[in-house]
Amino acid sequence: MSSSRSEGCTLTGALSITTAVRDAVSIIHGPRGCAHHNFSLFHTVAVDRGRPPPRILSSMVTEKDVVFGGEEALERALHRAVQMDPACIFVLTSCVADTIGDDTAMVCREDRPVPVVHIPTSGFLGGGFHDGERNALIALATMEDHGRPAREGPGGITLVGEKNLEYEVDQNYAEIVRLLSLLGVEVRLRFVREIDSREVGLLGRGSLNILRETGLTPVGEALEVRFGTPFISSFPLGLEGTLVFLSQVAESEGKTADPALEKEKRRQRALVEEFGDIRGRSVRLEGVTDPGEQEAVRELAELFDLSVDERGASLPLPSPFPAGTSGVRRVLHRWRARTRA
Amino acid sequence: MKQIALYGKGGIGKSTTSANLSAALSDRGLDILQIGCDPKRDSTRMLMRGRLIPTVMDLVRERGDRSLTLDDVVFEGYRGVRCVEAGGPEPGVGCAGRGIIATFQILERLGALHGDVVVYDVLGDVVCGGFAMPMREGYAEEVYLVTSGELMSLYAANNICKAIKRLSSRAKSKTRLAGVICNAKNLPREDELVARFAEQIGSTMVQFIPRDPVVQLAELNKMTVIEYAPESSQAGAYRDLAGKVLENTRLDVPEPLEIEELESLAYEFIAI
Repeated sequence: MSSSRSEGCTLTGALSITTAVRDAVSIIHGPRGCAHHNFSLFHTVAVDRGRPPPRILSSMVTEKDVVFGGEEALERALHRAVQMDPACIFVLTSCVADTIGDDTAMVCREDRPVPVVHIPTSGFLGGGFHDGERNALIALATMEDHGRPAREGPGGITLVGEKNLEYEVDQNYAEIVRLLSLLGVEVRLRFVREIDSREVGLLGRGSLNILRETGLTPVGEALEVRFGTPFISSFPLGLEGTLVFLSQVAESEGKTADPALEKEKRRQRALVEEFGDIRGRSVRLEGVTDPGEQEAVRELAELFDLSVDERGASLPLPSPFPAGTSGVRRVLHRWRARTRA
Repeated sequence: MKQIALYGKGGIGKSTTSANLSAALSDRGLDILQIGCDPKRDSTRMLMRGRLIPTVMDLVRERGDRSLTLDDVVFEGYRGVRCVEAGGPEPGVGCAGRGIIATFQILERLGALHGDVVVYDVLGDVVCGGFAMPMREGYAEEVYLVTSGELMSLYAANNICKAIKRLSSRAKSKTRLAGVICNAKNLPREDELVARFAEQIGSTMVQFIPRDPVVQLAELNKMTVIEYAPESSQAGAYRDLAGKVLENTRLDVPEPLEIEELESLAYEFIAI
């Protein structure tokens, strides 16, 4: 078990990936409750963002299925899912299905008119949110044979594991696109963020994978083994981190980094000047545990000569820390508001 | 109402012992309910003249649990012994332990759990909480361990002691060990060995049941020994057991042995 249960079970993590495949249906093999509380969350997020509700089905395992085995309940759910005419079906398992020993993988392997992908989850038995997220990404990586490539030709960047439930997901994406444009490269695939299942076929064609966070390193490694694609282990954090990120991408893509670095440094200098009014403030910094995020916060504290004092203004420390120079700008805006309060 | 449960290793003869015990108790004019808790549903077969009665779980599978009536699940056998089989899923799927729990809930809802003596004939070993249900929920107040002198049989009995000890520590638990029944395999000094085992776990051997071909003969004729050969010494052993069960007031919290202690004990009695 590699992640905290307080963040939710594997189902929620895996659904944050599978429901981002627009033409798919996700089945939760377990009691209705497992689907209900997850559906509520994803439905709320979708409505908030003006998107259609997620297509999530439950196999509706009852006590009778617990006693006699739930594989037939899953069969029935798969039949219902096929009627919805999806491009593919993802099957996720709850604690209950694994406790009673249903052979979910075997049921998923049977011939059907629609590809069925089994995502190893097992509810809380399988770990926490991040385990589900990682397992879903790795399982989806085996799907590339199911869809035809949407675009021909090699190259381009693949973003891996964007946090679909994150409030700033689109702003972070825009920042990555901006940074990559400085080097003249572009994102070819968002794995997985609002794509069609056939686009997964592009996964093996990317020249570089950029992971959202270091916790996804096992996914980066799995993709590297499968497709030979190198990876950068996280979105850029902090000012120096952004420059390092540009250098890493340039090196991997065979580009010259200097012009992009010069342009970005100018942007960063302007940013530091713009927020000069928070310089020297007395602040409290606490709560960030990720080493990369800690480094980004430490960098800003030093850059603006913030004195850390328990009686100082409590600064909001966003987690996850937003990406790139633009992310730093958003953090500084919040800090300015707090130090003025 | 006396509620007893027979636990022990698979194949040790719990169903034969249970059925003959129920028959012997019934001969005394008592109202007996025997509940088989094994998915292979052969606990009550000899009481039913060889008939395999529908199991509660089969009926739940076919009709759901809401439409079941008492007559659907309780069948009258030898001398009015009321017979129930819990049943369970096919091997390798689902959760038979949960099936046992569901069965007990249904029997309780239908008002089936009454009589002078309820005999629970439970699966070979306590493999999960579901099979410990008769103990855990206080249905089985008196547990009898059925064992022979074979090491693995004693090992299973010792494991069940662990469950009894754990469950009896709960505040509301009424479950206690009532004794050990030796269902002999005709090993040398088997009665001594099982009696020593019973003593070492803090209990007593309540009955030695010798191995006798009449048991096989009765089963081939689809009857209990009590019914098939009532004058036999084997039937006498079962009647003795019935009398002791009725009179027994000794209830203990057992102290299970360490595996090394169990092996040392068995080693003392092995014939080389």
